[in-house]
Amino acid sequence: MNRALRLTALRVRRQFLDWSGGWWFTLTLVANEAIGPLVGLFVWSTVFPDDRRVISYFVALIAVQLMTASYENHTFSETVYQGTVSHELLKPQPVIVNPIGENLAIRIWMTLFGLPLTVLTGLGLGSSYRWPDLLLAIPALACAAILRFLFTWILALTAFWTERVHAVVTFGSVLISLLGGAAAPISLLPAPWRAIAVALPFHAMLGLPADIATGAVDGPAAAVALARGLAWILVFTALAVVVWRSGIRRYTAVGA
Amino acid sequence: MIAFNLVMIVAEDLTMTYRVPVRDGGLTAALRSVVRRRYRDVHAVAQVSFAIAPGEVVGFIGPNGAGKTTTMKMLSGLLHPTSGVVRVLGFTPWQRRTPFLKQITLIRGSQPVGGSQELTVLDALEYQRLLYEVPSGEFRRNLADLTGLLELEPLLERQLRALSLGEKMRAGLALALLYGPKVLFLDEPTLGLDVSATATIRRFLAGHAARTGATILLTSHYMADVQSLCQRLILIDRGRVQYDGPLRELAARLSPYKLVRLNAPAATTDDVEPAGEIVESANGTWVLRVPRERVAQVTARLLTTLDVADLAVEEPALENVIDRAYRDGLP
Repeated sequence: MNRALRLTALRVRRQFLDWSGGWWFTLTLVANEAIGPLVGLFVWSTVFPDDRRVISYFVALIAVQLMTASYENHTFSETVYQGTVSHELLKPQPVIVNPIGENLAIRIWMTLFGLPLTVLTGLGLGSSYRWPDLLLAIPALACAAILRFLFTWILALTAFWTERVHAVVTFGSVLISLLGGAAAPISLLPAPWRAIAVALPFHAMLGLPADIATGAVDGPAAAVALARGLAWILVFTALAVVVWRSGIRRYTAVGA
Repeated sequence: MIAFNLVMIVAEDLTMTYRVPVRDGGLTAALRSVVRRRYRDVHAVAQVSFAIAPGEVVGFIGPNGAGKTTTMKMLSGLLHPTSGVVRVLGFTPWQRRTPFLKQITLIRGSQPVGGSQELTVLDALEYQRLLYEVPSGEFRRNLADLTGLLELEPLLERQLRALSLGEKMRAGLALALLYGPKVLFLDEPTLGLDVSATATIRRFLAGHAARTGATILLTSHYMADVQSLCQRLILIDRGRVQYDGPLRELAARLSPYKLVRLNAPAATTDDVEPAGEIVESANGTWVLRVPRERVAQVTARLLTTLDVADLAVEEPALENVIDRAYRDGLP
């Protein structure tokens, strides 16, 4: 295992321990992440009371939401505001190792708390899935996890320029919710809006794994959607490098 | 020109200029600034040059806003200088190469321990071991040494966030020194500490410098820190180096007087006054301010003309000397 991976694993372990003291706070995060899909579930299952796939979709969406949640505006941006990012800059490791480690640790805790509740909700509401669809959704889930981290990370880096990073990230979250499939399943959008939503990265960040898990997107369509998600990962990675370099240049020119 | 290979730290014409937005007060100015921002250059550090040899312990002092912390940040790699040359251990600091980062440490009194505060001190030390790839044997030895010297034993199992400021500084020093850095940048390490904690840190740092031969650059507003640790002083003011040399020479240069403390219960003001300016007098004890070149002559005269119970010649307090340098500049 190379050094970067070892350091990331180390950081995940450290942050996992760190977050173990705040289980009650993790529960509030779980509730907060679940609210959006739950609202969608109630609204759309009222509109389509006979379509069980709507229930399955939104239950899957809760799971995706929990496993891809990103809070870099809280974890990283605050270190810029407090000047403690300086400590990280002087450590012999890439700075991004810490946000990645903390992101993964939080997601693990949220999954541990939230997934059993989600499964119970799904069982209670009668959602159902086919095993092949669930297996096919795993790569899409991994893609969503990476994309959502990169997206939030790029927005969180605006902390180098503005003190309003939370507003910036909230705007990003609204886009994910509106165009990612939480406000409405992409398959229910009118054709032009659906085409736009599918082409943008937000569906791959949230709704795609749920669509694949429920069989709404399968076969070649799933492969194309996944390939599109991977392409967005490349774009966001390049963008993250550019924004990071620019931000750190500004930080080291202005100081903390 | 400075010979780069003979020194640990080199700064040559180091300059840092910040560009800060400015605007007039009022609504009109606020609206105007939306479309047309105005900036002003702030020269935090201007053409600072010095070199520090391996093993030197140097005090870096100056009034608030003089440029100490900015210089320290440039030397440690946190700031990219606007111009000039800076080399530490042969590296360009702002590039923050891993081999460089593994050989330096920056300890800030305002933030002695960075990162997560939820971990215990021992967990944090263990994390530091893995991060800096300290071999197990060396880790055990260093941990034992640091635990003894910094009285860490009662702190090891406590969470960082629950430590007092003095305890945090002791833990911060242990974390910073665990991997044996060759260059230490100490930015006000005794800031806000009580007398006892300050003494512990001073004792530890003096011992550490002697034991390891580490190169130390120390900023502090407490002259006792500087006096107890540093032979050499760099005084910076308004971003420029005003003095670079031995501490005692600065004292002599800034204060052409010495203090003669005289205990002569039978003496009167008329007896003492001709010897020098009376600074203090109480219960038969007099403190006189005497020009350095006249000290021998004055003390001899006092001893022969008065019934002297005790007499001592003292340097003026460094605090007073430096205060004068800050206020009036160097002569």
